Amino acid sequence: MSFEEISHTADVKIRVHAPTLEVLFSETFSALMEVMYGKNRAGGVFKEIRIESSDNESLLADFLSEVLFVSEVESLVFSDVIIRIDGLSLTAKLSGEPFDPVRHSGGSEVKGISYSGLAITHGAKGYMLDIIFDV
Amino acid sequence: MLEGINRIGMHEWEVPVGYVAGMRVPGRFFLSESLARTLEPGAVQQLANVATLPGILKNSLAMPDIHWGYGFPIGGVAAFSVDEGIISPGGVGFDINCGVRLLSTPLLHKDVAGRRDLIDELFRTVPTGVGAKSAMKVSPRVLEDMMVKGAQWAVRTGYGVERDLMRCEEGGFMKSADIRAVSAKAKLRGFPQGGTLGSGNHFLEIQVVREIFDPVAAKAFGLALGQVCCMIHCGSRGLGHQVCTDHLKILESATKKYHITIPDRQLACAPITSSEGRTYFGAMAAAANYAWANRQMITHATRQVLSKMFRIEYDQMPLIYDVAHNVAKMEEHDLEGKHMNVCVHRKGATRAFGPGSQDLPPDLSSIGQPVIIPGSMGTSSFVLHGTQFAMDRTFGSTCHGAGRIMSRTQAKKHLSGREITANLLKEGIIVRAHSENAIADEAPDVYKPSDEVVNVVHEVGISRLVARLSPLGVIKG
Repeated sequence: MSFEEISHTADVKIRVHAPTLEVLFSETFSALMEVMYGKNRAGGVFKEIRIESSDNESLLADFLSEVLFVSEVESLVFSDVIIRIDGLSLTAKLSGEPFDPVRHSGGSEVKGISYSGLAITHGAKGYMLDIIFDV
Repeated sequence: MLEGINRIGMHEWEVPVGYVAGMRVPGRFFLSESLARTLEPGAVQQLANVATLPGILKNSLAMPDIHWGYGFPIGGVAAFSVDEGIISPGGVGFDINCGVRLLSTPLLHKDVAGRRDLIDELFRTVPTGVGAKSAMKVSPRVLEDMMVKGAQWAVRTGYGVERDLMRCEEGGFMKSADIRAVSAKAKLRGFPQGGTLGSGNHFLEIQVVREIFDPVAAKAFGLALGQVCCMIHCGSRGLGHQVCTDHLKILESATKKYHITIPDRQLACAPITSSEGRTYFGAMAAAANYAWANRQMITHATRQVLSKMFRIEYDQMPLIYDVAHNVAKMEEHDLEGKHMNVCVHRKGATRAFGPGSQDLPPDLSSIGQPVIIPGSMGTSSFVLHGTQFAMDRTFGSTCHGAGRIMSRTQAKKHLSGREITANLLKEGIIVRAHSENAIADEAPDVYKPSDEVVNVVHEVGISRLVARLSPLGVIKG
């Protein structure tokens, strides 16, 4: 696991380090699912999401907002994702399962993906970001 | 206290222009010296950021439950000139019209003390927690009615009585709702969630009136010592979250289009008079109305449970009041001798209109608006009334709750849900939730003491204490 929860008073703040942008996005996606539904998640149901945005931060926020939408309206809990990023276009293949109240009720509902303090940086050690989920 | 902030009164502090670049007005917040120790630099920075927005009037304000949020600080209040100012989803939040209402009952403490069956029945009846869905089938037509008429739709559908509407801010719905501005995605999220509590800090609590501070106001509101009440805290659910997400995107483009410089992307905004600003306001009002309908439906379910279990009549459980604490409103205020139309953003803050305000029901006009302040789980909640001083100083606003001081990560390290439940039971408080994590997240210790927060607003005079209630049973979202 290469995401960690950083102390934030009101909401959930996640820090992610990754070697590539694709891994950075997929780790942030995993953090979102874990915050909402806990660690006990399986695959088997597949969905595809395509997003285009104006910059990397918007691409990430829009992707995660779409995940929140699909997860809620289709009652799906995702466990894995394969992400391909081409410029400012993203294709994500998600794998998940139907929401199970017994296994998936341990988390916090995320209301939205915040832009506050959201910045993706790229240095010698790869990519890094902090992101706040409103819970 | 943080460097660069000036104390200008017993509980009043100023963030001077220049604290961050581009501030147009000073920031002001209300905090006691002991609560000031919990103040985070991030919250003050956010308060100062709001002061940079175009058209802001008088001050960027924060109430004593101020803490670090996103966009505006939580506890933040700012009013903008309708002609020259902006509107921002960052001043409202994702959970549009998250709010709280208090329902009275004819029951006394002895009638409900230790009644686990009551808490279990409410827990079964009101859908709560992550993934919860309503048993009610909402058609597209019904969803539109909920977004246009809010609590009025609910009451006229049979989920309440007409008097309930007199006891809601705005009469239970904002007239400026524009359902065309609500996306198909937001509507899809709205269909299955009418009458659901949600999760996080949302709750339904059975409480007892423990203390009366102002007998005249308490009597006018319908509160008596020893009386059992029910407090409901929830918002606009996924529909509201999606409205915020959708319009943040639109307003981010508008920020560039209208050449507005913002210090935080979450403060994306547009002139109130612009098409983007008006469209957001219409969508926000529709989501706010959905939230009022939602709280009214939960009220109905609660009344049915109490009616059945205690053989009391439905109309013996009048609504004390319903307040919104995440919303932007067009209001009239007096400013430097001028009567002005302004757009007031309250982000984790409660409207607290004083005596004589036009929006109040006639029988409360001499007292002021009832203000409902929930405590944290296991601690006291309060009823206050609005004041003229709030009209003069804070655009008729006060605090909204206790205010967090501990993150969820810290909370989970300190306390387990099981321990908290056992400790609260020793105090006579029954807690039900779908997960222990939900209980640990919202443990009493993670919040500022609610009595200290309300004492500050009482002493400052932006609302005045009427009654204190303590919990007997809690359903956690």
